[in-house]
Amino acid sequence: MSLEAREVSKRFGGIAALSEVSLALEPGEVHGLIGPNGSGKTTLLNLLSGYYRADAGGIVLDDEDLTLATVQRRAFKGLARTFQKPRLLPALSVLDNAALGGWRDCSAGFLASSAALPRARREDRMLRGRAEELLHGVGLGHAIGRRAGNLEHAEQRFLEIARGLAMRPRYILLDEPAGGLTPAEIRHLGGVIRTMRDCGIGVLLVEHHTDFVFRICDRVTTLDLGRIIAHGAPDAVRRNPDVIRVYLGGSHAAA
Amino acid sequence: MKHSRPALLAALLFAAATLPWWAGNQYQLHLATLISAYWVLIGGLNLVVGYAGQLSIGHVGLLAIGAYCFAILAGAHGVHPALAVAAAGALCGLCGLLLGLPSLRLPGFYFAMATAAFSLIVTEMSLALGGLTGGGVGIAVPAFPPPFDTPQGFYYLCAGAALLVTWLTGNAARGTWGRGLIAIRDSQVTAQAVGVPVFRAKLVAFVASGIAAGLAGALFGALQSYITPDTFPFDLGLFFFVCIIIGGRGSIVGPFVGTAVLTALPELVAPLAKLGTFFYGLLLLVVVLLVPEGIGRLVEAAIRRFRPAREESVPVRPDLARLAAAIREGRG
Amino acid sequence: MDGLLIAIVSGVANGAVYGATALAYNAMFSTSKVLSVTTGHLAMLGGVFGAWFITALGVPAWLALALAIAVGALFGLLTELIAIRRVLARSDEHLWLLSTLALATMVSQAVGLWWGTEPKPFPRLIAQDDTAGPLDQKYWLPVLVALLLAGLLELFYRRTLYGKLFVAMSEDAFAARARGIPTDLVRAASYALAGAMGALAGFAAAQLTFAYFAIGLTLTLNGFIALAVGGLGSNPGALVGGLVLGVLSAVTTYFIGGEFQQTVAVGLLMIVLLVRPQGLFGHPDVRPV
Repeated sequence: MSLEAREVSKRFGGIAALSEVSLALEPGEVHGLIGPNGSGKTTLLNLLSGYYRADAGGIVLDDEDLTLATVQRRAFKGLARTFQKPRLLPALSVLDNAALGGWRDCSAGFLASSAALPRARREDRMLRGRAEELLHGVGLGHAIGRRAGNLEHAEQRFLEIARGLAMRPRYILLDEPAGGLTPAEIRHLGGVIRTMRDCGIGVLLVEHHTDFVFRICDRVTTLDLGRIIAHGAPDAVRRNPDVIRVYLGGSHAAA
Repeated sequence: MKHSRPALLAALLFAAATLPWWAGNQYQLHLATLISAYWVLIGGLNLVVGYAGQLSIGHVGLLAIGAYCFAILAGAHGVHPALAVAAAGALCGLCGLLLGLPSLRLPGFYFAMATAAFSLIVTEMSLALGGLTGGGVGIAVPAFPPPFDTPQGFYYLCAGAALLVTWLTGNAARGTWGRGLIAIRDSQVTAQAVGVPVFRAKLVAFVASGIAAGLAGALFGALQSYITPDTFPFDLGLFFFVCIIIGGRGSIVGPFVGTAVLTALPELVAPLAKLGTFFYGLLLLVVVLLVPEGIGRLVEAAIRRFRPAREESVPVRPDLARLAAAIREGRG
Repeated sequence: MDGLLIAIVSGVANGAVYGATALAYNAMFSTSKVLSVTTGHLAMLGGVFGAWFITALGVPAWLALALAIAVGALFGLLTELIAIRRVLARSDEHLWLLSTLALATMVSQAVGLWWGTEPKPFPRLIAQDDTAGPLDQKYWLPVLVALLLAGLLELFYRRTLYGKLFVAMSEDAFAARARGIPTDLVRAASYALAGAMGALAGFAAAQLTFAYFAIGLTLTLNGFIALAVGGLGSNPGALVGGLVLGVLSAVTTYFIGGEFQQTVAVGLLMIVLLVRPQGLFGHPDVRPV
């Protein structure tokens, strides 16, 4: 049982964005994915979630080959993700945005839904109720009726996570969820991520905020120029000379 | 505003139900009937344009097919009008499917052009198939049987159909489907991420709008009592589209008000009638440049200004026990 | 046989107008990534204003041509200022479609109100009697102009500094701006250029299409079909696409009658989009999410 990338490669034009990268995300673990800008982190996320098609290699979710599956099919199989720049529906309320994640559990067809058949109404109440609980859980209880377009940045990040959780995922991919958050908000984010892990969800955390990653992750994978240069327990990766050279050292020098 | 909504709705329903008594003359009643018939189409089209964000400017073609289908079946072939109406709806649903299958996969401009071309094709066909449609001369459309054969009776029929469409689309829009369609409109990437089958959802909405257009065509045709290809000019399709954009996307009240006002305005203000479609173009331009969310949103914002909602900044503070319970419940 | 020849010649001529319209589409698309609904109306303006200058004002043909081109360029410029510039800043991909649709509706209706909704004949530009048949000026003028436009455009893009700015902007607008190219100005210039091209084509073709407000919509549609068939962004493709569409409709009109022209045009579009979505001369789009 895991979400796996098996020796995937992806090229854009003449440039190899990823070369034969393998990675397994287990349920109930927080798996960090770090690396300098352009090292292929987001490309790997897009390959896993289906926005890109791999040139070689495969994507396997719980022993089912999803290499050629659409984004939607992977969502139905229990794969959720958030985006580097939150992608919400600004015109809808916070509750509706979270409830959108319940699409995969909507069995009522268009006709049943438009005729407001009891079954469809019950289902919609259930999906809204679940979304509401999740919103309270991630700390957005105060904003449930607001337009998502009026949210502050941190609230948008937490709303995206609530939407992902409303999909009842087995694996969730978080693309730089701590970007733009204050230290206090990052602490809260850590709590949310640990809670997801404790509930058995596999969390893939792409993040630049390395202190946060090494603090919270069970395992860390480091990419550079589209290849894995280190992989293992946080402490080991943190001390890995290659990682220090290309990433940790580099970022300190740049800062 | 939440509390005033049911009251407003009740007042509106009451006004619509008693309209034949307070309407000043037959012409005003005719206008109300026309607005109702238009709304049957526009209400359905609203799902496509206002919710799914697919800019169809050729729905007048479907209206024409519905009207001709009703006229031919109920008139020349003596089919019972109720059956003929159902057939018009079914035929236009099918046409919507056949038009949507190739065109809804295309990018926005391509889709808009395909629908525009479709309405021109329908005009071409209605001229070419003279044996069926009467060609340029046109064809008479039979009236509905009693009790819908009087202006009042027919008004109630159209208003009832309009109400039904409002109810159906309102239900769909409020639920999971409405959210999914808006996701397609505002962020295709998000729609995919949560599993919305983008093409299929668009197609469903488009076919639904086709059925509504077919019903509207039957009502509209019967109201006109005689139809020719000129009854369905390209500009009428633009008009339907403009009503929705001006009223505001992602709303049902907005486009309805847009339909009522834009249908009645040129009749009540003579100079506007002379400007005709130019006026709609101007209105569209002004709205797109100044209030792209539509006039409905402007009204909403004005109301909010009177009653400023307290949206002070509250720090995000997760309730992890509740979160864990909610996640576990979902996975249960 | 003579009938078929005339049909094909007029198909080629009509196809040249579609092709020229597609060239105007390309000129605007290259700098703004917008397909403007006003494109066909540029040619309509050329025809109508040309006829008005010559018949109503008694202006000599060469001056009328210059004035008609000026009208087209001015309308192109206004399109950019009113319907494109402010809308592009907002980055909602639907808005430019709405704003150009609104402007196209306004200009065609305004011309309808002012000029009348009946097609009016366009005066002869060159002394020639009506017995020339397939060699009549109304057939070869639009073809000549379409070829001229494509050739001049190619020279402009390759040989002039301004043209190179256009090309730079069409390849990467952000990079162009970063390198200090005044992108707003270049975009406005491209719209004025497209307006001039459209008006010239409309003027040259008006003996065939008549000075008629409704051809704007027809040309917007058929010019777009020519563009999609030939391949978005390709100027040779635009001409070939126009030619294919023009000849195909002419031949079907000859054999089965003119009632199904629009149907045939759309059928061609659908077949091309199914078999070769990028068009005959287009490049498949590589666009990561």
